[in-house]
Amino acid sequence: MKSILQTFLLTELLGGLRLTFKNLFVRKVTLNYPEEKTPKSPRFRGLHAQRRYPNGEERCIACKLCEAVCPALAITIDSDVSEDGTRRTTRYDIDLFKCIYCGFCEEACPVDAIVETRIHEYHMENRGENIMTKEKLLAIGDRYEPMIAADKAADAPYR
Amino acid sequence: MAEIQNFTMNFGPQHPAAHGVLRLVLEMDGEVITKADPHVGLLHRGTEKLAESKPYNQSIGYMDRLDYVSMMCNEHGYVLAIEKLLNIDVPLRAQYIRVMFDEITRILNHLMWLGAHGLDIGAMTMFLYCFREREDLMDCYEAVSGTRMHATYYRPGGVYRDLPEQMPRHEYSKFRSRKDVDRLNENREGSLLDFIDAFADAFPGRVDEYETLLTDNRIWKQRTVNIGVVTPERAKALGFTGPMLRGSGVAWDLRKKQPYEVYAKLDFGIPVGTNGDCYDRYLVRVEELRQSAKIIKQCVAWLRENPGPVMVDDHKITPPERVEMKGDMESLIHHFKLFTEGYCVPEGESYAAVEHPKGEFGVYLVSDGANKPFRVKIRAPGFSHMAAMDEMVRGHMLADVVAVIGTMDVVFGEIDR
Amino acid sequence: MSDDTVQLEVNGVPVTARKGQMIIEVTDAADAYVPRFCYHPKLSIAANCRMCLVEVENVPKPLPACATPVADGMKVQTRSGRALAAQRATMEFLLINHPLDCPICDQGGECELQDLAMGFGRDVSRYTERKRVVKDKDLGPLVSTDMTRCIHCTRCVRFGQEIAGIQELGTIGRGESTEIGTFVERSVGHELSGNIIDLCPVGALNNKPYRYRARSWEMTQHATVSGHDCAGSNLYAHAVRGRVMRAVPRPEERINETWLADRDRYSCHGLYGEDRLQEPMLRRDGEWHKVDWETALKAAAAGLKDAVGRSGPEGLGFLAHPSSTLEEFLLVEELASALGSANIDYRVHRVDFRDPDAEPTVPGIGVPIADVEGLDAILLVGSLIREEVPILAHRVRKAALAGCRVSFINPTVGEWLFPVQAEIAGGAGMVAELAAVLQSAARKRGVAVSERLADVVSGAHPGPGHDAIAASLGQESVVWLGLVAEADPARADLFAIAEELARLTGARFGQLTVGANSAGAALAGVQPHRGRGAVPRPRPGLDAGAMASEGLDGLLLLNLEPEDFPPETRPLLDDARCVVALTPFADDALLSCADVLLPTGTFLETSGTFVNCEGRWQSFSGAGRPPGEARPAWKVLRVLGNFLDQEGFDFDDTDEVRDALVSHLDGLSHGAQDRPDRILARESASPARAVGLYGVDGLVRRSEPLQAAAAASGDPEA
Repeated sequence: MKSILQTFLLTELLGGLRLTFKNLFVRKVTLNYPEEKTPKSPRFRGLHAQRRYPNGEERCIACKLCEAVCPALAITIDSDVSEDGTRRTTRYDIDLFKCIYCGFCEEACPVDAIVETRIHEYHMENRGENIMTKEKLLAIGDRYEPMIAADKAADAPYR
Repeated sequence: MAEIQNFTMNFGPQHPAAHGVLRLVLEMDGEVITKADPHVGLLHRGTEKLAESKPYNQSIGYMDRLDYVSMMCNEHGYVLAIEKLLNIDVPLRAQYIRVMFDEITRILNHLMWLGAHGLDIGAMTMFLYCFREREDLMDCYEAVSGTRMHATYYRPGGVYRDLPEQMPRHEYSKFRSRKDVDRLNENREGSLLDFIDAFADAFPGRVDEYETLLTDNRIWKQRTVNIGVVTPERAKALGFTGPMLRGSGVAWDLRKKQPYEVYAKLDFGIPVGTNGDCYDRYLVRVEELRQSAKIIKQCVAWLRENPGPVMVDDHKITPPERVEMKGDMESLIHHFKLFTEGYCVPEGESYAAVEHPKGEFGVYLVSDGANKPFRVKIRAPGFSHMAAMDEMVRGHMLADVVAVIGTMDVVFGEIDR
Repeated sequence: MSDDTVQLEVNGVPVTARKGQMIIEVTDAADAYVPRFCYHPKLSIAANCRMCLVEVENVPKPLPACATPVADGMKVQTRSGRALAAQRATMEFLLINHPLDCPICDQGGECELQDLAMGFGRDVSRYTERKRVVKDKDLGPLVSTDMTRCIHCTRCVRFGQEIAGIQELGTIGRGESTEIGTFVERSVGHELSGNIIDLCPVGALNNKPYRYRARSWEMTQHATVSGHDCAGSNLYAHAVRGRVMRAVPRPEERINETWLADRDRYSCHGLYGEDRLQEPMLRRDGEWHKVDWETALKAAAAGLKDAVGRSGPEGLGFLAHPSSTLEEFLLVEELASALGSANIDYRVHRVDFRDPDAEPTVPGIGVPIADVEGLDAILLVGSLIREEVPILAHRVRKAALAGCRVSFINPTVGEWLFPVQAEIAGGAGMVAELAAVLQSAARKRGVAVSERLADVVSGAHPGPGHDAIAASLGQESVVWLGLVAEADPARADLFAIAEELARLTGARFGQLTVGANSAGAALAGVQPHRGRGAVPRPRPGLDAGAMASEGLDGLLLLNLEPEDFPPETRPLLDDARCVVALTPFADDALLSCADVLLPTGTFLETSGTFVNCEGRWQSFSGAGRPPGEARPAWKVLRVLGNFLDQEGFDFDDTDEVRDALVSHLDGLSHGAQDRPDRILARESASPARAVGLYGVDGLVRRSEPLQAAAAASGDPEA
């Protein structure tokens, strides 16, 4: 009897419609991207950057641990003795097409030189732009250093 | 009269209901399937061989990309296999974190399945409801690992980092009133655990909403009931696992039958179907959503009470903390060697399986004592399910193929590997 | 059971050992690894690192495995709790003063200290005090130092004392203030000194030119053979993305043991210099133009053909460096024959070409290199063996230390670093001095010297030195002509007398040969009087000297530069109307005389075969990619053959070329025996003209570290 009633009164369909109708008046869960953005954790693994010490000296010492640990072989480093006799990179390329953003490079770096930032909105227009050269990486690092430093400080207790 | 011939039709690999890159060659008698021949391999990336060419840890990230809707569960199977060979015990806190994220992953996976399954057979709105909840869980993923999907979070010996004390919050902006932002941040005021706890509390109500939309819905029932029926015997014979097996009425769940991590200490149930059709499998998965929320609640409670290490304290396997690495010789050497050469795993073989949202996800490892595996074999649950495609759709109508693909919950990342 | 064996147990497994062996030798043989820093099988035992402590049953304390002789019934535990604890404690002490340098240390990744710290050390340090710092030493252009990293294993010190024979490094101070260094600030100058880099288990001594260039794990290791001297030392060339970064020894007990001469180790640092030829070049109207391969090869083929057209095949000459590969030699010979010319030679360093038929078919030292150690006497005539073949000099040194009587007849006195029986230098000239030895030997044995040498012997006056040398030569001895003799204007005389001396005394006769592959050149027929398989040519062509005196119309140079020619023959290059040069390098001297430059790869960038001075064929494949448009020379020659429309140049790889030669060697003749009655005509020039340690070929001449090292030790330049 109940099932017959249900069959003819469409109760279950009306229940579904009610839920849908109710949701018309619920506050939207969406955000107005790009004006608003979802929260991002300090651990976010986005675009890479190379950092400097506060005195302007490059952190990277060309130890190549990041190159060794990179599962996707996205990092290419050439190193040599620099003018002041220290160990430095002469080339530091990250191929963003190969990178899988696993964060191992950042984990491996003994001097916190290579980091992944919370920047995730970037694009390329031409061939070759996917290669992040040392200059590009340092420029990102210089530009966002306050943000990077804050993120790394926030996460430092966990590492 | 014209001669009547069977019609052979290509389904996919660009069909939106093919869940990725499935190519089905269907032989049809009118609109009835007489034979279905799945062609797989279009997403083959050689993950197993790739893993055999790298130090153990470097392949964790590739496991995420197998079944890319249940990322951490894949990692789990892999690290368990390594841990078995290394013969190490993971700290209890890490085990709870892993179980909690396994269940979060299960919800993520089932929501994806539910949304897509619904979308495939006509229930458009399901997708939107499911993604609403997925978003919160993605935030959990990101808060803990830094990425919304490919986490690379589990490590042999534990997990990479402890859970953060603070959940990332929405920022004030001119596009929204402060009050509104505060409302959005309401459940983000505390730690990640608080956030997850709040989610687990609210989630069963959300599941009720999904059920309102689907469970009794006559269209839904017409599309799923008695479609793709698999008997318990056949299910076992075909190597089904997970909800595909339980939907046929076999109460088999690795979390219960071969408990790993801390599942033995947790209270949860295994839903089992009776008819083995698409509808029963739907019911099983929906119930699993509720059970997962229950497990998450228990994990959150334990984790709140019990701080501690999340990594094995053996730096021959796990890298030392950064502070130590920068200050002492032994730690620096171990850091250096672990990140370049990795650790060597004792000779032997191991098989570790987890109850993945799709079934039994197993990793078979053979080590020759080197720093990379000699052989890696991944047992992807979806592969066995896909192999039963012909049996499940034969005699059904073309439209039911979509329902069967949906009920299998196929993801080609793992099937093609 | 014989008396000189003992039975013992290693980790419970019974093993048999010789009496007097150290535990570590037995455990190594039993595959039970014991960690070690100071122990090295080729060096004496110092037992000062204490890393190899093992437990021996019934001995109260752990014992150093490297310094404890085995005894009957000994029960050795290498992995017992006590042994591991002792090793762990040693490791902790070693790391106390080690700086946190791994990320910037070149040894990182191939460091014994790292490996053993991982395998046998603690995983966290307990040491929080200050670390010791030691001032770096300047050891010259070859070896970089970071002495703070030193763990005082003294391998480098012992190497100097025992292998090099000159103590360049020593320990200063004791306890906390122990330091390794040169006593006075000076660079290490021994020709094997680079080996201390390999010996150093940490990053204290490192390869200076390679400093900070690459990591061990990113390099691809290519097994190859050195192309700078006739020993054919085995080495590994390490390359990153096709560029050779460094060379390290490849252990080969029969040749170089575990050592490598500096020349072989550092020559690769000359590969990518400024004057490396990267594109084919063509001279048009006096101006050099970079051109593509087709244009260059066409021009080369046309140049050679025109020369034949102008002055016939006799106007065409082919000269190759003696360090070219066997395959290159063969293809040059094939090219020469195809064009109808027999004017082909590899002996460009030589000025005396008399008596060609006396030469052995395959030049060599006459004994296997490994057997040199066991000789009773060695007479070296006109040889600065330490710079000619450093690896062979090391064998001679080992022999001398074991009692072998080594003598020299040289234009000048040398510094040998091993006991020498007699050294006759200067005086009446090498020919006369050698003749005196021959006379002494003949008189002593009461046999007559052959007729054609009677003149010179009769005029000789043997002194005590000559008598001693003559007396020392016997069955287990050799008479070697060195490279000074090879370049001597009286080479043929020295050769004849030395050969006669060897014949009379029963000693074996041999030559240190020029370059890496003189034997290969002889086999491939790169000689005017003998063709492929060293079979005498029916119509001999012009040798290098005759080419210079007669002048040529067209000339093809393989791996040769003007610097490789003695001044007497150098004008040949300027006089030829068309000079086609296959060369890896092009400096001003070559640019001024060549007309077509075809860029080729060095021995590190081509596959090929070298035949060393003991007759060993060693094939190798290239390690690096030739830079730019440069190609392996055998390919260039092969295609040049095609451009000249000749048959028989369709080889696909060097193995095919080599096999083509092997098929010719079945009927290897042993040279014609008819000799002129009197050959003596010249006096030896003095002082000798030698190319010097670091002037043997273009690659070595361009290696900055080697040239700097030569300058630092005051070596005469090429």
